[in-house]
Amino acid sequence: MKKAIRIGTIGAITALLAAMYVWFFVYNKPHQNFEMAKPEKVLSASQCFENFSKNNTPDDGKVLEIYGIPSSIETADSMVVVCFYFKKGMFGDEGIRCTLLPKFQKAASKLSTTDTVYIKGFCAGYNGTDVIFEKSSIINKDK
Amino acid sequence: MKNVLITIFIILFAMPSFGQRFITKTGKVSFYSDAPLEKIEAVNNTVNCAMDTQSGFFVVKILMRSFVFEKELMQEHFNEEYVESEKFPNAFFKGQVQNLKQINFKKEGIYPVTIAGQMTIHGKTQPVKATGTFAISKGAIIASGKFPIKISDYGISIPGAVVGKISENVEIHVHFNLKPLKQ
Repeated sequence: MKKAIRIGTIGAITALLAAMYVWFFVYNKPHQNFEMAKPEKVLSASQCFENFSKNNTPDDGKVLEIYGIPSSIETADSMVVVCFYFKKGMFGDEGIRCTLLPKFQKAASKLSTTDTVYIKGFCAGYNGTDVIFEKSSIINKDK
Repeated sequence: MKNVLITIFIILFAMPSFGQRFITKTGKVSFYSDAPLEKIEAVNNTVNCAMDTQSGFFVVKILMRSFVFEKELMQEHFNEEYVESEKFPNAFFKGQVQNLKQINFKKEGIYPVTIAGQMTIHGKTQPVKATGTFAISKGAIIASGKFPIKISDYGISIPGAVVGKISENVEIHVHFNLKPLKQ
């Protein structure tokens, strides 16, 4: 009888631990921390745009680090977007648009359109107009 | 001389057919679906939208991977199993404002609008008609509206294990702050 209770208790604890694991680490697993993620590729912004616009080697769905001289820093609602533009089209300037993580929005005000900047983020893809980077961070190369 | 006059004539008479183009690259598209298993909600804040005030041409480009869900697992399932973002990375809408004559783009106010066109999701194109408003203020047009879609119309199938627990109908909300395109 004691043995049956012991087996039952162990079984119940195991099931509870398995359920907790699934709840916390599968169903409610956190979003990827793109600030800490290692980039799969480092390339210039112009090369990255060319890769997408000419459909050479699309890198959508990957964490990438790009560098270049930003064309503009745009703000819209609560977003700050670092833009690298290379051509004009139906939607005006077209190129790469990197939406910054809130943590880096203040630092964006210090960026200039004359100096090279390094940006790392999740490359969501090319919408036929722009290459979109989400959850981007500014990489300080002086460290 | 004759060629110059023809060119001037063409420019003068062709220009009125191109109205002011308004655009945004930070448009918001969100969707909501309520079902017994769970509520599904996601938002995309990097949507491209352009509109020509003369012709009423209205176009939207949506990158599917830019939809953000509360839960990472839902986001993974959305991209990998439902809309197959790798295979079909973009959704498009191309349409026309139906009641263009009733909108005075030079006068501030809120105007009801109906837009009809073709929407492509998951590689499938379907006709869509949406109602909403154009709020014209300070030289900008805030276009907002909502419309329902049936996901099976776009070839998106719900896995057998969760059929009946995930809604077939999804409500799409759009909000575009359109500003004049600087040439």
